[in-house]
Amino acid sequence: MSRKVLETDGPQWVRRGVITEAQREQLLALYPSEANAIGLLPLLGSLLVLLSALSVVAANWQSLPELLRLGLLLATLVAAYAGGEYFRRRGNTSLGMGLVALGLVVFGASIVLTSQLYQLIGYDLTGLLAWAVAGMGLTWLYRSRLLFLLTVVISGIVQGYNTGQLGAFSYLTAAGTALGLGLYWWRRPDALLGGVLAGGLLWQAALLINHLHVKITWFFIPAMLVYALGDWQADRPAGRALQGPPLAAAFLFTLGLALFGESDFYAGQLRAPLVPYLAALTAVLALSLVGKQRRGRLGGATDWLLLLPGFYFTGGLPLAIATLVVLYAYSGSVLLRAHQEQNPDRVTLGTVLFVLTTAVAYFKLTWGYFDKSLFFLLGGLLLLGLSWWLQRRAARTLAAANAASASAASAAPKP
Amino acid sequence: MTEPFISDLNPVPAATPALPAHHRRWLLWLVAAQVLFVLGVAVAGYATAALGRTITLQTEPVDPRDLLYGDHLRLRYQISELPGSLWRGAKQPRRKDAAYVLLEPQPTSADNYAAVGIYPEAPATTGQQVVLRGSVQDVWRRGLRLRYGLERYYVPETMTRQLRHRRRLRVQVSIAPWGQARITQVDTLGVVR
Repeated sequence: MSRKVLETDGPQWVRRGVITEAQREQLLALYPSEANAIGLLPLLGSLLVLLSALSVVAANWQSLPELLRLGLLLATLVAAYAGGEYFRRRGNTSLGMGLVALGLVVFGASIVLTSQLYQLIGYDLTGLLAWAVAGMGLTWLYRSRLLFLLTVVISGIVQGYNTGQLGAFSYLTAAGTALGLGLYWWRRPDALLGGVLAGGLLWQAALLINHLHVKITWFFIPAMLVYALGDWQADRPAGRALQGPPLAAAFLFTLGLALFGESDFYAGQLRAPLVPYLAALTAVLALSLVGKQRRGRLGGATDWLLLLPGFYFTGGLPLAIATLVVLYAYSGSVLLRAHQEQNPDRVTLGTVLFVLTTAVAYFKLTWGYFDKSLFFLLGGLLLLGLSWWLQRRAARTLAAANAASASAASAAPKP
Repeated sequence: MTEPFISDLNPVPAATPALPAHHRRWLLWLVAAQVLFVLGVAVAGYATAALGRTITLQTEPVDPRDLLYGDHLRLRYQISELPGSLWRGAKQPRRKDAAYVLLEPQPTSADNYAAVGIYPEAPATTGQQVVLRGSVQDVWRRGLRLRYGLERYYVPETMTRQLRHRRRLRVQVSIAPWGQARITQVDTLGVVR
C-alpha cells in the first residue's frame, strides 16, 4: 500500500466508516511523503554539467597527452568510488550505489582505453578478467543487488570479447562467475538474481560450446548443472528462478527442432555421441534428484521430461514426432502438476506451453496433407477447442482453490 | 506494517547505509588495486617500449576505409601467413595452438625481419634473432595463418590524414624480454594502386 492510495481513497473509507479520521491520519503518518522531487533538480543539473565535460574530453581524447589521459581516467575512477561512499554515508543509498556502479564501469573503460593508448592488445585475458573480479569483490563488499547484476553482465561481456576478439575462452572468468556470484546467490537467495545469474552462466556455456566446436547438445550438460544447483537451494522461489533459464533454453531448443527439423548446415553439429552424453546427463540427473529429494520436492522431477533425448532420431518425420512427444510430455506434466497444486500462474504457463506445442504439432504434421484453407480452418478450430477446454479446467481449479482457502479462512479462529 | 517500506525492486535492500570499519578498509584496498592495475597496464606499455628489442615488420596494403568505421586499422603482416614448411613441431599444427615465430633480419635490408621457423614452444635464439609469440588461426594444406595480437593499430590523429589511399606500412614492434609485444611506431610507405 502506498501513500497515494491512502490520500485518494482515505476520505471515502472514513465516510463509509471503515476507519475513523484519527486512524486515517495515523496511517498517513506511517507513510511519510518523500521529499525527493526537489532533490532531483540539482542532480539533473550536475548530470548535464558532467555530460558536457564528458563530451569535451571525448572530442579531444586523441589529442590529449598520454599522461593526462591516464590521469583523467584514474581521477574519474577514484572520484566515482569516493562519491559513492560519501553519499552512502549521508544516507543517500541509491545515489551512492549508482556512483559505485559507475566506478566499476569506469574501471573497465580505463583498462580498455589504457591498453589502446599503449597499443597493448595481446592475448592478455587477465586485463578484462580483472574487471569481472573487481565487480565480484564490490558485490561481496556492498552486498548489493545492483552490483551483482552489473557483474553478471560484465562477466558476459568479458567472455564475449575473449571468444570473439581474442579467440580464447577464459575459464577463470567462467569459474569466477559460477563460484564468486554463485556462492553469493547461495548465501543470499533471491529470485531476480537467480534468474539473471542463470542467464549469464548459460551465455558463457553457449560461448564455450561454440568456442570448442563441439556438438551443440553438449550445452545441456552445464545448463542442467545450473538447474540442479537450483534443486539444492533451500529458498524455493530463488531456486525456481535459477531453473527458469535452463528450462526455457531446453524448451525453445526442442521447439525449434520440432518446427524446423535438422537442416544441412547444423545437422553435423547437432548430436553429441550417445553414450558419453547420456552418461553425463544421467550424472546431472542423479545430482538433481538427490537435491529434490533432500528438499522434498521430488514432484518437480517432471521437468526432466524436457531433456528426453528425442533429437537422436534422424530424418524429417521421426525427428519431428520424437521432439513433439518430448514437448507434449513436458507441457502436459506442467499442466497436470499445476492443477494438482491449484497454482493459477502455473496453470497459465502450462496452458500456453500446451497450446504452443499443439500449434507446432498441427503445423508440422498436417501442412503437407491438407488443402491450405482446410488446414487453417481445422487448425483454428483445434486451437479454439483446446483453449476452451483448458480454460474450463483452469476455472474449475481456481474455483476449487478459492473454496479451499475460503473454508480455511472461516475455520481459522477470529483474532 | 514495517515491511512495505522496503519494496522488492529497491536495488539495495540488504545494504546498510554505512559499511563497517573493516569493510571500508577492504574497499580502500579494492579501489587501490584497481588504480594499480590500470597503472600496471601503462607501466607494461612503457617498459615494453623501453626494454624491448625493436624490430620492423612489413604489412600488406592497409585499407583506409577501416578508419571510416572506427579508430583503428586492421593490419595484416607479411608474417601473418606463412608456408607450412616452416613448422618445426613434431605434431601437425592445429587451430588455437600456440606458435613461436623465430624472426631474423633479412640480408637485403637489415631492419626488416622475416620468419625462419615456427615452433610449438619457445626456441633458443642466437645473435640477431628474436621470437614473436602468436597463435594458429587457420591451417590449410600449404600454409598457416597466425595471429600475434598486433593486428590492431589505434591510429593517432596525425596519421589519419596520410591514409587516403591503400598503402603499405612499416611497423616497428618492441618485444620485451618477457615476451610481451607492442607497436611503437608506424610509418607509411608508397601508395599501392
